Amino acid sequence: MRFVIIGAGRVGLRTARVLREEGHDVTIVERDANKAERARNDEFEVVEGDGAREAVLDKVDLESADALGALTGDLNVNFAACMVAKHFGCRTVLRIDEDYREDIYRKFASDVDEVVYPERLGAIGAKNALLGGNIRAIADIAQNLQVVELTITDESPVKGYSISELSIPADARILAFGKRDESMDIPLPDDSIGVGDRVAVLADFDVLEDVRRILVGDASRGAADELTANAGGN
Amino acid sequence: MVTAYVMVKANTGEADRLKSQILDIGGVDDAHIVAGDVDIIAKVDVESPAAVKEIAADGIQHVAGVEDTQTYIAMD
Repeated sequence: MRFVIIGAGRVGLRTARVLREEGHDVTIVERDANKAERARNDEFEVVEGDGAREAVLDKVDLESADALGALTGDLNVNFAACMVAKHFGCRTVLRIDEDYREDIYRKFASDVDEVVYPERLGAIGAKNALLGGNIRAIADIAQNLQVVELTITDESPVKGYSISELSIPADARILAFGKRDESMDIPLPDDSIGVGDRVAVLADFDVLEDVRRILVGDASRGAADELTANAGGN
Repeated sequence: MVTAYVMVKANTGEADRLKSQILDIGGVDDAHIVAGDVDIIAKVDVESPAAVKEIAADGIQHVAGVEDTQTYIAMD
């Protein structure tokens, strides 16, 4: 697919890299000469100019682009770019700068298909790091809904249970299960849960802590470290 | 008559409520939820510049969820 990214800052450039790594074509629009140069050095195709201006966006051939990510720190630029891109039939993604604006843009910005607030995922990552090594955020589904991967430890209350015996809160669903050192798969009722196995759960924020307690227990940081050390040779 | 535009920066996602509460303030002629670094722009039509200040400072700024306002008085 072909993508246009507005802004070669922290968020834009990283997004461009991830898309390129997955084999997509990426064109970046950046108005700051130094940032544009840095993106060019990174072997990206860069159009230098203000992404809020139609004359600049004309140069990136939006007609052949599948989607545009307006990922600058300037909300006015991001919104203008999305409006132009929508006119060309692109899918549009807008970065917001303050979390309360998420609902406003979801509701009122008809030219914007998706709203992203990068700080939210960053905060979840930091929180997981603080909690310890046995829980990891995979995706943010909605403001109050998250997919997390939990690793079963020696202290897990459910160690030795099967998937069908698991009892998790109503606002949570088990999405995938992976035996230690194997890839994640659809969970089967008879799968037995052992140390080092991973469970991906979709959960409401309110029950996330309960899910963690049920699946990995109140394992100390030390226990989590020990697990990591044991798995270290793989 | 004095016409003024008041840029409203919110700190809540309840844009609909803010807009309707701002529209309820006497002297506010119109209000729109906008994209960009402010969230609502209200148009004020009153008799005197003092009334503009009253509406912005006492009226709009006192609506819960309004963080800041900036007022522009029309010259034409």
